[in-house]
Amino acid sequence: MISTMTPSGAGFRNLLQIGILLLVLASPLSAQQNITAASVLPDEGRYANRPFPNIVAQSLQRQRFQLSEIWREKPVLLTLVFTRCAGICSPFLMSLKSAVDALGGLGSEYRVVVLSFDPRDTPSDMAALAKHIGVSSNGDWIFGTSTAAEIERIAQSTGFWFRWDAERIQFDHPAMLVGVRAGRIARLLVGGEVLPVRLKEVVDELRGEFVPAYPLPGRALFRCFQYDPAVRRFKPDWGFLLLLLPGCTALFGTFWVFHSARKTPDDSPSLSP
Amino acid sequence: MEISNNPRPNDVQPTALRRMTFIWMFTMLTLFPVLLVLGFFMRALQANFMSKLQPEWFYAVLTLHGLGMVGIWYVGSMAGVSYLLGRYVRPSLAISKVAFGATLLGVVLLLACTLIGRMGVGWYFLYPLPLHSKGVWPPWATGAFLGSLAVFGVGWTLWSLDLLRAIAQRYSFSAAMAWHYLKGRSEPEVPPLVLIVTVSMVSALAGFVAAVVVLVLYVAEWLGTGFTNDALLMKNLTFFFGHVLVNITMYLGVAMVYELLPAYAQRPWKTNKVMALAWNTVLFLVMFAYLHHLYMDFAQPHWLQYLGQIASYMISVPAAVVSIFGALVLVYGSRMRWNMVSLLLCFGVMGWAIGGVAAVIDSTVAVNVRFHNTLWVPAHFHTYYLMGVVLMILGFASYLGEERGQLAERMGLTKLTVSLIVVGGYGFLLMFYYGGAHSVPRRYASYPQEVAQGAAYARLALVFISALLLGVLLYLWDTGRRCWRSFSVSS
Amino acid sequence: MPQEQVFYFFIVLAVVIATVFVAVGWSTRQAREVHSGPAYKLRKFFFVGLSVIFLGLLAVTLPRTPYSAEISSPDRIVHVVGKQFAFALSESPISTEKEWEEGTYAAPVEVPAGTSVEFRVTSLDVNHSFGLYSPGHHLIAQTQAMPGYVNRLRVRLEEPGRYTVLCLEMCGMDHHKMRAVMDVK
Repeated sequence: MISTMTPSGAGFRNLLQIGILLLVLASPLSAQQNITAASVLPDEGRYANRPFPNIVAQSLQRQRFQLSEIWREKPVLLTLVFTRCAGICSPFLMSLKSAVDALGGLGSEYRVVVLSFDPRDTPSDMAALAKHIGVSSNGDWIFGTSTAAEIERIAQSTGFWFRWDAERIQFDHPAMLVGVRAGRIARLLVGGEVLPVRLKEVVDELRGEFVPAYPLPGRALFRCFQYDPAVRRFKPDWGFLLLLLPGCTALFGTFWVFHSARKTPDDSPSLSP
Repeated sequence: MEISNNPRPNDVQPTALRRMTFIWMFTMLTLFPVLLVLGFFMRALQANFMSKLQPEWFYAVLTLHGLGMVGIWYVGSMAGVSYLLGRYVRPSLAISKVAFGATLLGVVLLLACTLIGRMGVGWYFLYPLPLHSKGVWPPWATGAFLGSLAVFGVGWTLWSLDLLRAIAQRYSFSAAMAWHYLKGRSEPEVPPLVLIVTVSMVSALAGFVAAVVVLVLYVAEWLGTGFTNDALLMKNLTFFFGHVLVNITMYLGVAMVYELLPAYAQRPWKTNKVMALAWNTVLFLVMFAYLHHLYMDFAQPHWLQYLGQIASYMISVPAAVVSIFGALVLVYGSRMRWNMVSLLLCFGVMGWAIGGVAAVIDSTVAVNVRFHNTLWVPAHFHTYYLMGVVLMILGFASYLGEERGQLAERMGLTKLTVSLIVVGGYGFLLMFYYGGAHSVPRRYASYPQEVAQGAAYARLALVFISALLLGVLLYLWDTGRRCWRSFSVSS
Repeated sequence: MPQEQVFYFFIVLAVVIATVFVAVGWSTRQAREVHSGPAYKLRKFFFVGLSVIFLGLLAVTLPRTPYSAEISSPDRIVHVVGKQFAFALSESPISTEKEWEEGTYAAPVEVPAGTSVEFRVTSLDVNHSFGLYSPGHHLIAQTQAMPGYVNRLRVRLEEPGRYTVLCLEMCGMDHHKMRAVMDVK
């Protein structure tokens, strides 16, 4: 049961109304299950390299398209939002736009797809959102809507979840960006904003570049190198200075010894060229 | 290289220096057969003998054998070059004694933490294993281990500094590094020994500073401050220290060959432009060659991995083209006085060459993928160590016995001794190489079914180690009595 | 097997070196003058020859490292976590000790023959090493399992059968018992 139904709050007069009540009551129950199952943020490790569903969506021009039509040409960065969001959606999209602008490569290396998971959203609503973000004239930002069933397929394949908060009359949901390459999930970012460094990681992965190792978050004070995804390189950290210390100390120590050595007075004079 | 018939006079050193050198050699050569037997013990365990023994004993003995051997050959080579340097400069006896005391104390601590504490971390104590005993060794063993390293480090650093000081009192830095030879000048004359020891001691200082950093970082974490080290940083520092220490031991052995072999070949072997260039290059490259130990750490930046392979390849060029080729030309067609000394020195150079080839092979990243941490690794380093620098140092010890020696050498015994050592040694090594080529892992107390053939190779290795041990015992007896006679005469 | 080829290549070189040394030693039976000119020429030839060989080897071998993605998009991702003294392999991520323990008891990971697998390897305690052995018990790939880092090793598993994982970095008293298996069908 998809927890996307807006509770109607209608009264109950006959069996049909009881049925509706049962349906409505069932929604938060399944939503509850959804929360239990996905009360954590989507875990990239669980979904990386899994197939991404080739869903059908509707563009701003109300034309139907399949996601594969896009990812066949270029890898896709996909995110799920809703237009009545008073929370994270708009800041998230703004940060995504900033990161995309900073990184470059839009159109040539990837395209961005923004879909709504709210069945109330129409193509006009999404067009307004695109204008608000400032990308309505950019054809490489593809805004669209889709059916509840198709959105559910995305949710199942990425761990994305959304639930209706009756108190705030809003959907509660994480902010997520999925990198899809040739129909598979390459990367999955979750968080309040999109940093250019994180986006570059995703885009590089979409391009097929391979980073053979990455550090885990830890408490190590001195690392040799801090991995800087912005330039896709390890840059020296404090620990690197410790690596240079032995050679520098040895040279300094040697020069000090030779400089301060008193030549033995009763031997042959010191030998220099 | 000048080839002429003016060999260097055979100077005999002052009594005090001789005495100290004899003490070093005696200590080192007493520990050597003990550590050899420990090696036999390990191979016996791997051959499935004594299979009821708890496996932690294998790893404790491995630690003692590894660190012990690295230690005794380092001090052996330092003692040897100190003695030979006495022909040109004045190393300090007091510092030598301090280093001796530190070595003894370190040995005691090492024996305690391994044989009593059962500490099994291997000679390069890879972080964070010393801090994760899994209940096998007690915390005091970790402290004793770190303490032994600290004590060794202090003593050996002082000793290295002193050799540099002694050289500095006679030679300027540029002279000691033979830079004037690069400009085509040969005055002042700088013996190869001085050049190589200078290069080695500068490298040694770098290695010891790395060890200090590693120890400080270890202690900071061990004391439970909540501070956690970065495993990659610790690995870089540890392998830098270990690689440099082993390499300079090798170079010091080679320095002894440069100094001693000419007298036996009755030809001089002097510093020249090419030799100066070679050893200055070595000083630079030895700082980077250690990177070949981290090929399987993909977190290490790519450029460092490539640098490791390039440096490892390049550093073998001066060794091969200048030292090894030079030794061959020195000996070729010479009026060579073959005896224990010269035989061991020459076989030592040969072992260095063969081990070097195996090392270059393993320092190729594409090959290392399949050879890293298999038996190929102990194979190659035992080759240039056991059949390389160890033979060179044994040759030096024999030379000590020859100075003022009253006992005539029995060539039959010499040939038997050398044959047993060479055949036993290379046979033992062959089993390592063959095991590595068949994917048998190194440092296994026993072999699982997938690599069960490792036990058969270990059994065969025991035969060769027995021959080697017999040869070493014969050597110790023969050289021991000759050294004792020589020492008694000089006293 | 490539390792055997390397071994025999090494043996040939070692025998050549030994032969040269023995020949040089044998030459001392008859003393002769060695002129510096030919010696220097030979040394120069040796230097140039060795340098050319090394440059050639560098050019051929440096591009063939496990750091570049010969496999651009792996079919499966297998998470590998080492801890004293077992490996856990799973297609789900392993972040905790509990997940590691469950992974050590779980059924072996199974993939079809020809699958390209990306192993994401790390450790929860000390430095281990992930050594992958083919069904014929030959080491075919390895990477370090280091705490605080994930190493990504991509391998195409062509040969069907049971692959064994052995720990190749000494990690304590049961280092030799540390293993895991996976199946290629």
